[in-house]
Amino acid sequence: MSIGISERKTVLLRSFVPTLGMLLLAAGHAGAQGVLIDKSEIRFVSKQMGANVEGRFRKWKANIVFTPKDLARSKADFEIDLASIDLASDESEAEIKRQLWFDTAKYPVAKFVSNAVRNVGGDKYEVAGALTIKGITRDAVVPVALKKDASGNSVAEGSFTLKRLDYRVGEKEWADTETVANEVLVRVRMVLPPVQ
Amino acid sequence: MKNASEVRYTATAVTVHWLSAVIIVAGFTLGLSMIGLPLSRQKLQWYAWHKWIGITVFLLTCFRLAWRWGHPAPPPMPTMLLWQRRAAAVSHALLYALLLVIPISGWLYSSATGVQVVYLGLVPLPDLVPKDKALASLLRACHVTLNFTLLALVCLHVAAALRHHFVDRDAVLSRMLLRPRPPRHA
Repeated sequence: MSIGISERKTVLLRSFVPTLGMLLLAAGHAGAQGVLIDKSEIRFVSKQMGANVEGRFRKWKANIVFTPKDLARSKADFEIDLASIDLASDESEAEIKRQLWFDTAKYPVAKFVSNAVRNVGGDKYEVAGALTIKGITRDAVVPVALKKDASGNSVAEGSFTLKRLDYRVGEKEWADTETVANEVLVRVRMVLPPVQ
Repeated sequence: MKNASEVRYTATAVTVHWLSAVIIVAGFTLGLSMIGLPLSRQKLQWYAWHKWIGITVFLLTCFRLAWRWGHPAPPPMPTMLLWQRRAAAVSHALLYALLLVIPISGWLYSSATGVQVVYLGLVPLPDLVPKDKALASLLRACHVTLNFTLLALVCLHVAAALRHHFVDRDAVLSRMLLRPRPPRHA
């Protein structure tokens, strides 16, 4: 294929739960390998007073099975430790963990569980799935572009916009979207080493 | 030939000087007030306004320097001693420098926290440095220190102007007023 992954390929990405690897191996998938954590990232851009505010999550885990010839069995599942958020200041990091925002005491993890991976031409894919934040689940479709970097790693980059109020992120005074916009751009970049 | 006390700043220079003064005091006060607020919509608004004020000060200062280039400032009072002339020249140069450097330091600091500056909520400015927590705390310290240096210099600037007006009774302050009130001579 044009993306350069000709054989059936299974990739396991893991960040902090090693048991997932064994789970997948036990399920009979060959070639499990770790994601290049230092090069992979889950970032987002929100808007405050019209200005972009960057952030990212330091801790997450991903379970990615990508088989270009067998997209039906491909998947990309994520679990994000919301308390690991990296924001503009310690103060805003503390605030966003509170009840009105993520309420991490009650809902520590955001999840994305894919249910379909579609090729939409060339190296472009669409990953459809269910995104759960703060106990609320909604459908999401993430367009993903695949490419190779100079070291031969596969780089999957996807981004999509979610509406924070769909997930009750920012309640009461923060439900106002004049100060903090409803839209949040989420950017996911996963780097996978070449299959041996 | 006019004597030095009759040479005034242009009406433009006077207007922009006092406009800058008002905006700088507002930006400084807002900066001091906003940092103590609990995180709230108001705090985010005040931070944005503070940044808009800072960029405005930078632009006004660029304008003032360009204007001054074309319309030189009046010469020092003939009655001033050499050390006074030097002190005035140095403190004015430092004031201009701070009015340019302080907004840039704030812009750098904002970039380092990962928050873009969008002037007046309309004009996005480029991020000068990538998001970096350690760099952000260093730049914050720079921004604060530079601001208190400015506060000290402004106090000196005001004290000198008042001294010229009320003690030396020369035209240094009145030539920076739109409707000059010459100091009363005995």
